Amino acid sequence: MSEKHRKLERSAMGFVFAIILVGSIGGAVEIAPLFTIDETVEEAPDMRQYTPLELAGRNIYIREGCYACHSQMIRTLEDEVERYGHYSLAVESKYDHPMLWGSKRTGPDLARVGGKYSDQWHVTHLNNPRDVVPQSVMPSYSWLKTNDLEYRDINLDLTALSKVGVPYTLEMIDHAVDDLYAQANPDSVKVDGLLERYGEKTTIRYFDGNRSSVTEMDAVVAYLQIIGRLTDVSEISDLSLPRNPGKKE
Amino acid sequence: MVSNLTQKERYLAIYISAALTMIGLTIGIAGREDILGIHGALIAVIGLALIFIIGNSYYEPQPDSSNFKKYFDDTTKAGIIFSMSWLVFAAFIGDWVAWLLVFPEATFDAGWASFGRLRPVHTTGVIFGFGGNALIATSFHVVQRTTRSRLPDQLSPWVVIIGYNIFCLVAVTGYLMGITSSKEYAEPEWYADLLLLAVWVLYFVLYLRTLARRQEPHIYVANWYFLAFIIVVAILHIINNLAVPISLTHAKSYTIFSGVQDAMTQWWYGHNAVAFFLTSGFLGMLYYYLPKRAGRPIFSYRLSIVSFWGITFMYMWVGSHHLHYTALPQWVQTLGMSFSIMLLVPSWASAGNALMTLNGAWNKVRDDATLRFMMIAAVFYGLSTFEGSFLAIRPVNALSHYTDWTVGHVHAGVLGWVAMIVFGSFYTLVPWLWGKKTMYSTKLIEVHFWLALIGTLIYVFAMWNSGIIQGLMWRAYNEDGALAYSFIESVAAMKPYYYARAIGGFLFLTGGIVCFYNILKTIRSKAREQVKQPDRAPVPTAAAETQRA
Amino acid sequence: MSEKNIDEYSGRETTGHEWNGITELDTPIPKAIWVFLTVATVCAVIMWILLPSWPLGSTYTKGLLGADERETVKKNLTQANLVREPWEVRMAKTDYSDLKNDNELTTVIMRNGKRLFEDNCAMCHGLDAKGGHGYPNLIDKQWLWGGDPATILETISIGINSGHVDSRASEMMAFGRDGILNVEDRKNVIYFVQSLSNNNISKTVGDEVIAAGAKLFSENCAVCHGENGKGQTELGAPNLTDPFWIYGNDYETISSVLRDGRQGVMPFWSERLSLPERKILSFYILKLGETD
Repeated sequence: MSEKHRKLERSAMGFVFAIILVGSIGGAVEIAPLFTIDETVEEAPDMRQYTPLELAGRNIYIREGCYACHSQMIRTLEDEVERYGHYSLAVESKYDHPMLWGSKRTGPDLARVGGKYSDQWHVTHLNNPRDVVPQSVMPSYSWLKTNDLEYRDINLDLTALSKVGVPYTLEMIDHAVDDLYAQANPDSVKVDGLLERYGEKTTIRYFDGNRSSVTEMDAVVAYLQIIGRLTDVSEISDLSLPRNPGKKE
Repeated sequence: MVSNLTQKERYLAIYISAALTMIGLTIGIAGREDILGIHGALIAVIGLALIFIIGNSYYEPQPDSSNFKKYFDDTTKAGIIFSMSWLVFAAFIGDWVAWLLVFPEATFDAGWASFGRLRPVHTTGVIFGFGGNALIATSFHVVQRTTRSRLPDQLSPWVVIIGYNIFCLVAVTGYLMGITSSKEYAEPEWYADLLLLAVWVLYFVLYLRTLARRQEPHIYVANWYFLAFIIVVAILHIINNLAVPISLTHAKSYTIFSGVQDAMTQWWYGHNAVAFFLTSGFLGMLYYYLPKRAGRPIFSYRLSIVSFWGITFMYMWVGSHHLHYTALPQWVQTLGMSFSIMLLVPSWASAGNALMTLNGAWNKVRDDATLRFMMIAAVFYGLSTFEGSFLAIRPVNALSHYTDWTVGHVHAGVLGWVAMIVFGSFYTLVPWLWGKKTMYSTKLIEVHFWLALIGTLIYVFAMWNSGIIQGLMWRAYNEDGALAYSFIESVAAMKPYYYARAIGGFLFLTGGIVCFYNILKTIRSKAREQVKQPDRAPVPTAAAETQRA
Repeated sequence: MSEKNIDEYSGRETTGHEWNGITELDTPIPKAIWVFLTVATVCAVIMWILLPSWPLGSTYTKGLLGADERETVKKNLTQANLVREPWEVRMAKTDYSDLKNDNELTTVIMRNGKRLFEDNCAMCHGLDAKGGHGYPNLIDKQWLWGGDPATILETISIGINSGHVDSRASEMMAFGRDGILNVEDRKNVIYFVQSLSNNNISKTVGDEVIAAGAKLFSENCAVCHGENGKGQTELGAPNLTDPFWIYGNDYETISSVLRDGRQGVMPFWSERLSLPERKILSFYILKLGETD
C-alpha cells in the first residue's frame, strides 16, 4: 500500500484528482437519490405557495436569524408529537427556499405555531417577549411594528422563486404588490384578487392591529400564522391520534 | 510590506486595487436602492485605501535580490495579525451573545444587537475570520518549507489574504444589517459567495503552483491536508450556495434547493465545513508545528495515510446525522449514522499519531506551554471526534439534538482543538517569523494556557449539563403517562448553566487577548539579535530570478 | 534510501524522507487500528442489513427489520395513550363537583393541568392564570362566556373569534371610527361607564354628563352589555360594573376601545389538544380559582 501511495505523493495533480474523487462519493450517493426516489416528498394536492406578505414575513424571520433559536421540524419522537403536534412531513417545506428546519431549540419548535396564538399575542410578544412570558430569553423586536414593510420589489422575489421551482404564475407575479397590500388590508378592493389567486382560506387581517400602514410586524405575524398550515397534514398522514392537528371532531 | 514587492507587482497591485474600487463603485451605484449599495461603498473604500497604501510606497527602492533567496513570509505575518484580531472580535461577540441569554434585555432595542444577527457574526468571525486566516497564514508558511520552494510570486498571496478578509468583513457587516441566506456557516449572500469563490480559486492555483515548484520529490502530509481543505471547501461552497439572486442590484437570493433536499445539502455542507475547514486544515497545521516543536519524527507514516484517506472519504457521508428523525428519509439517516461510527477510526488514528509523536518529548510537554497547547489540542480532537460519533447514533441524537449539548460539542472542538492548535502553532511561528529567540513572555503563554483550558472546560461542562437536562426535561413522562415538563420550565432551568457558559467564554476570551498582546509585544520587542529561522534555505529557482527583472 | 535512518529514541526506521527537518517513522499501523476498523465496519454492515440504508435509483434497501420511524412513533404514541387511559376514562365520567371526593384524580389533573396550561395557555393568561393586558384573568371568577365546567370546556374547544366554524363570536364595535358616536358623545359614555364601578366620577364630572352618558349607553351599548351594564355571557359582553378590566378602565383605554372597537381572539384548541387534555384544563383553571 505505502509503495503505491509514495507514487501518488509525487504528483500534485494526482493528489488533487484523488481527493476530488474520494470526497465526492458520499455527497453524490446521499443527495442525488433524494431527487429520484418519489416517496421522499409526499403528495399534497392542496399545498399552496406563500402569499407575498407571508413570503416577506419569512424573509424577515430569516433576516433576524429566528432560525438560530427556533426549529421548524417536529421529529418522529412521541414526546415531540405530544408537545408540538404531528411530526413534520417533507412536503410541508417543499416550497421553502431555503428550508428553516433549524438546529437548536433555545425557544420552542414553531413547525405548528400557525393559529396557536392570536395575532395580538404575537404582536405583544415580538414587541417585548417578557410582557407575556416573564422567563423568556428572547430579544425584543419592537422595531417591527414601526418599520414600514419594503415591498415594491416583492415581484422580484416571486420571480426568483418561480425560477427555482415554486409554482408562482405570471399573474401572481404581476399582482404581487397588490396582493401583499390586500392581505394586510381587509377593507381593500384588492382582496378578491388575492383570494382568487391563493385560495379562499387565505387569512386577511390587520395582523399588527394597525390600519394605517403595512408594517414588518404585519408580514412576520402573517408568516407565523401560516407556518404548518400550507397543507392539511391529516389529509396526507394516517397517523390518527386524539391530538392530531387538523382532524375535526 | 509594499517595499518587498517588485515594481511590476506594485503596478499590478495598483491595477487590482483600482479594479476593486471600480467593482465596489459599480455595486454601490447599481445597488443604491438596496442594502447591497452599502457593501459596494465598503468595497470601494477598501479599494481606495489599498491604492493609497500602495501608492504611498510606490517609489520606494526595489527589494534586494537576496530577498528572493528567502521564503516569502509577509502574508503569513499579516495572516497571523488578521487571525488574532478576528479571534478577539469574534470571541467577544460570542461571549456577548452568551450574556444575552442571561440578560436578554441588553440589545439596546436595535436589530443589529439581537441574538439572531450576532450569532452568525460570532460563528463566521471564529470559523472564517480566526480559523481561515490562521489556515491561510500557516499553509503559506508550511508549503514553502516542506517543498523548499518560495511562493511563486508575492502578489497573489496578498490578493488571497486581503480578498479573503474583505469577504469576512462583507459577511459580518451583512449579518448586522440583516443580509443572510440563513444557511448555517454559509450565511453570506451570493455576491460575497462569488468573491470568496474568486479568492479561493486563486488560493488553490497558488498552492498548486508552489507544489509544482517543489524541490522535495514527495509531498508532505501537512500539504495533503491543506490540499483537501482547499479543494473540498471549494466543492462544498459552490454546491451549497447555488442560488438565484432576485436581481443583480439586490442582495437577496433564493437557494435553488428546497425543503428536504436543501436540508441534506445544507448539512452535507455544514458538517463538512467542520470536517475540511476545522479538521483537515488544522491537521495540516498540526502535522508541521507539532513535530517541529517537539523535535520528533511523525510516529507513523502509514497511519497518516490511513487516517488521511479515511477522513477524506468518510466525512462526506456523515452530514445526515444532523437530521435524525426528521423528514429526511430514514435510509439517509442510517448511512449517516453508520459512517459516523466508522469515521471514529481514522479520527482517532490521527489523534493517536499526533500524541505518539510526542513520545520521547514528554518532558518538553511538561515544561513548554506551547507544546502543551498542541498536546491538549490533540486530546480535545480525540475527545470531540469520539463525542461526535457518539452523538451521531440515532437514539443518542434523539436526546441531544436541538439542545445545548450540540453547542457544547462544537465548542469542545473549536475551543479545545482548533483554537489550541492555532495558539501552539502561533507561539512557535511568531518568534521565527519576526526573528526573535522566544516569545516576549513565556509566563504569559503559561497564563494563557490555563485561561484557555479552564475556560474551555467550564464552557463544555456547562453545556453538557444544560443540554442533557434540556433533552431529558423535554422527553420526560410523569407517572400518569403524560409529558412532565412544560417548555418554559426547561428554559428557566438553563439559567445557571448560561451564566457558567458566559463565564467560561469570558476566561477564554481573556486568554485570547493575553495571546494577542504577547504576540504584539514579541513583534515590537527590540531584541539584541535577529535570530534566523531554523529553516533550510529554499532552493533558488529560475522563477525567483526572473522576479527581479 | 540506500542507508537506513534509525530514530534513536524509538529504534525505528524512518521513511528516509525529510521536509525541513521533519521526518516520519515507518511504524506499521498498530493492530488495534485494524481491529477497531473491522469492528466499526461490521457494525455498519449490520446496520445496513437491518435498516433502510442504500439508495437504488428510485428506491432503497428497506432492511430486514422493516424499521420505519413513522411506524415506530405511531406505536409509541398508542402505547402512551394506553398508559393514560385508566384515568382518562375515569375523568370522562367525572363531573367537576365530584372531584372533591376523588383526591387521586384531582392530583392527576393538577399535575398535568399545570404542564398543559404552561405549554399552551400561559403565553397569554400568564403562568399564574391571572391574565394580563388584553387577556382575561381566569381565576377571578368573572367569566365572559360563563364559568360552569361545560361552558369553559366549550370555550377552550372552539375559541372566541377563532376561525373555528362554531367559534364564539363577539365584537365591540368601533363607535368612533365608524361614525356612530361623536367625540362629545363618547366622552359622556366613557364617564358613565367609569361611574358604574367608581362612585367618585359623578362628583368630578357632574351628574348631567353621567345622565347624558346613561342615555347614550342605553341606546347603543345596552344591547350587549345590558341595561345595568352587567354584561351578557351569551354574547361574551363583559360586565362593566365590576372592578375587573381586561384592557384597563382609565379614560384613555376606554376611549380607544370605544373609538376603534375590540375583537379579542382566543384560539380554538379542538385540533391541537385531545378532549381529555381540554377537560383537564377546564378543571385545572376552576380548581386554581377555588384555591386562590
